[in-house]
Amino acid sequence: MLSRVAENLYWMARYLERAENTARLINSTTQLLLDLPRGASFGWDVLLRVAGLDDLYGRTYGVPNEADIMRFLIQDEANPSSIASSIRCARENTRTFREVLPREFWERVNSLYLYVRANAADEAMSRSQRYAVLDGVIERRQAIVGLLMGTMSHDVAYQFIELGRNLERADMTTRIVDVNSAVLLPSDGAVSRAVLERLWMGTLKALSAYQMYRRHVGVHIEGAGVVQFVLTDSPFPRSVAHCLSEIEGCLAALPNSDGAMKAMRTAWRRLEQMRFEGLPPVVLHDYLDQVQADLGAIHAAVAQQYFYLHQARPAGPVGG
Amino acid sequence: MDLIPPDYFLNDAYDELIAPDGRPRPAARALFQYLGSLEPGVLAARRDAVDAAIMAMGITFTVYSDGANIDRAWPFDIVPRVIPRSEWERIEAGLKQRLTALNLFIDDLYNAQRIVKDGIFPLEVLEGSKNFREQCRGISPRFGVWAHICGTDLVRDKDGTVYVLEDNLRVPSGVSYMLENRQLMKRLFPEMFQAMTILPVDDYPTQLYDTLAALSPRDGERPVVAVLTPGIYNSAYFEHSYLAQQMGAVLVEGSDLAVGDDDCVYMKTITGLRRVDVIYRRIDDDFMDPEAFRPDSALGVPGLMRAWRAGKVGIANAPGSGVADDKVVYAFVPRIIRYYLAEDPILPNVPSWLCMVDEDRDYVLEHIDDLVVKPANESGGYGMLIGPRATAAQRDNFRALIRENPRNYMAQPTLTISTAATLVGDRLAPRHLDLRPFVLQSQKLYATTGGLTRVALREGSLVVNSSQGGGSKDTWIVDTEE
Repeated sequence: MLSRVAENLYWMARYLERAENTARLINSTTQLLLDLPRGASFGWDVLLRVAGLDDLYGRTYGVPNEADIMRFLIQDEANPSSIASSIRCARENTRTFREVLPREFWERVNSLYLYVRANAADEAMSRSQRYAVLDGVIERRQAIVGLLMGTMSHDVAYQFIELGRNLERADMTTRIVDVNSAVLLPSDGAVSRAVLERLWMGTLKALSAYQMYRRHVGVHIEGAGVVQFVLTDSPFPRSVAHCLSEIEGCLAALPNSDGAMKAMRTAWRRLEQMRFEGLPPVVLHDYLDQVQADLGAIHAAVAQQYFYLHQARPAGPVGG
Repeated sequence: MDLIPPDYFLNDAYDELIAPDGRPRPAARALFQYLGSLEPGVLAARRDAVDAAIMAMGITFTVYSDGANIDRAWPFDIVPRVIPRSEWERIEAGLKQRLTALNLFIDDLYNAQRIVKDGIFPLEVLEGSKNFREQCRGISPRFGVWAHICGTDLVRDKDGTVYVLEDNLRVPSGVSYMLENRQLMKRLFPEMFQAMTILPVDDYPTQLYDTLAALSPRDGERPVVAVLTPGIYNSAYFEHSYLAQQMGAVLVEGSDLAVGDDDCVYMKTITGLRRVDVIYRRIDDDFMDPEAFRPDSALGVPGLMRAWRAGKVGIANAPGSGVADDKVVYAFVPRIIRYYLAEDPILPNVPSWLCMVDEDRDYVLEHIDDLVVKPANESGGYGMLIGPRATAAQRDNFRALIRENPRNYMAQPTLTISTAATLVGDRLAPRHLDLRPFVLQSQKLYATTGGLTRVALREGSLVVNSSQGGGSKDTWIVDTEE
């Protein structure tokens, strides 16, 4: 497998995962807002903060408001993490390795791209239209994942796709949970238990974890339980623990993965040491930062081992 | 449904599908019987369906325009061009004959130059060739073959004669569209493929793979074959990726390859360097190796020529093959065929005047209004003058260019190239077209069954290039009982 192709596969998977997670996050936040009492300390700008995009947004748009934030997160090509940008990048990447994937894969990615281009650019989208369009993104993206699972040999190319997908997913899970720590940080103690429960329910829904949580943990939703579930419940496919074991499987199937394995084990150990009972929001935020840093270390080790040859280009054209 | 309107014909061009009496030609009868059986509107509806399929399949080509690269859907006409098998077999023999002779010619030019010494091919043409590569002197590639993949452009004149218009020996493109067109037609009109004997085209990737694999310097092992592309912004990127996929070859960019101190070519993989045996390069000579050719090329691989000269890698087409892809050399091809093969050419050339020959030049300067003037080394329809359609200023400009550098120009009569019925709106109208078959040579010779039919979609236009508003049609070689 060419070093360049491995890197493109990995990023293609990350972009697609990011697009789907952003769509889920926006949809669940929209639902959540409808349930919050007036005056609750929550605004759309939280979405910018958890994605680490508040600076970029501020430079282009200024004061946060729903319409601008949605444009920024969904269709703005100047935002490299917007849904439109992520899908465009995934498509461009896919063009560079059409020969290693099932042919249908390209057609599906291309059709997702055409769908977003045709539907997501509507400036005057209502909340219900937006919900339907983003749902369409999620649906098409899921079809792509299903296609790969059903038709692609679990070869080296597949491992790089899975690596990218799981790293991005774990990272997005921590960011989605962080929405709540951002809401709760300025808490003045007046937030009622019911509102808190709604917020955590929103988190679970953003991760499609609501039903699984209720089945496996219980009907009462409280912060510590939710955080513990989405970080450590390894049977749940969007939990950080699940993603880590998938990553471990990929690394085991790849040659020369010692460095990345080491970073992986560090991430595991630190996750196992976390205690969630009675967790104050500040510590929660620190926990999430730590998981993100550990995932970053795994990414760096993977890049060092597999993408390095491609990245180490000669300084410039000879003579030039 | 009345398919062929009484005012169908635009001019006196030969129509590939419809005879002058307004009835379908024999090979196209079954096609028209089928089309005629469709309810009104069905044809246009299927055309819309195929346009949607082209978008979804992402069959595109890239156009550079206004400083940006635009990905355009491939324009496709759903009415096929039909050629009877008996006629095709003669054309196929002519194509193989031509490529065989051209390869003997290239090999001779880089070695003994017998043809020059024997006075058949003028030294001054050789000396004036931009594509003759000094770096290739004295090399004998496997099988003596330099141009392994050739795209030959054919046109048919008013009287029905099929002429060779051009031999594309550098990096001819279009074969992926030929293959995709057939896929589209089978999706769209499965009934026709059941009812008629249409010869298949889909063995091309296998044949191409065999042609390339035969060039491997390491016998006995399954060779590592790579397609070398300039990258996603190249107009033919779709094709590079498509062919790599179809052949199970690796698609590489220049930066993926490196030449070692042992003169072998390696690709950079996740487990380190891996040797490459054969490179199907889709990059021009100039950009292939900054050590040997243009030093400012960032697309190529430093040391590639060195590796090839040392016999450590096969390259198709071989560096320097372009020497025979020159519109002045073209005029000599009939003589080249007679010289090397002692046979008469099966396919005729379009009559040509060479501006380097005094009496030819005088004729061209005098009759420029009626002629097509072409520069020796351009492709894609660029840099040429269509006399009857040019302004007085453009003609004067070309007269000056010819006087300045006669070796670089040749002229041909303006042919009325043939037309075929094309779906325009919801009715059929004639549009001009050509045909580009692809011919392969290494250990064996092979020609595609038919080729890529390119059609000028604008009424009356003669320019079929996709970069200039051309589209394409599926090309059917059919068995008919005549």
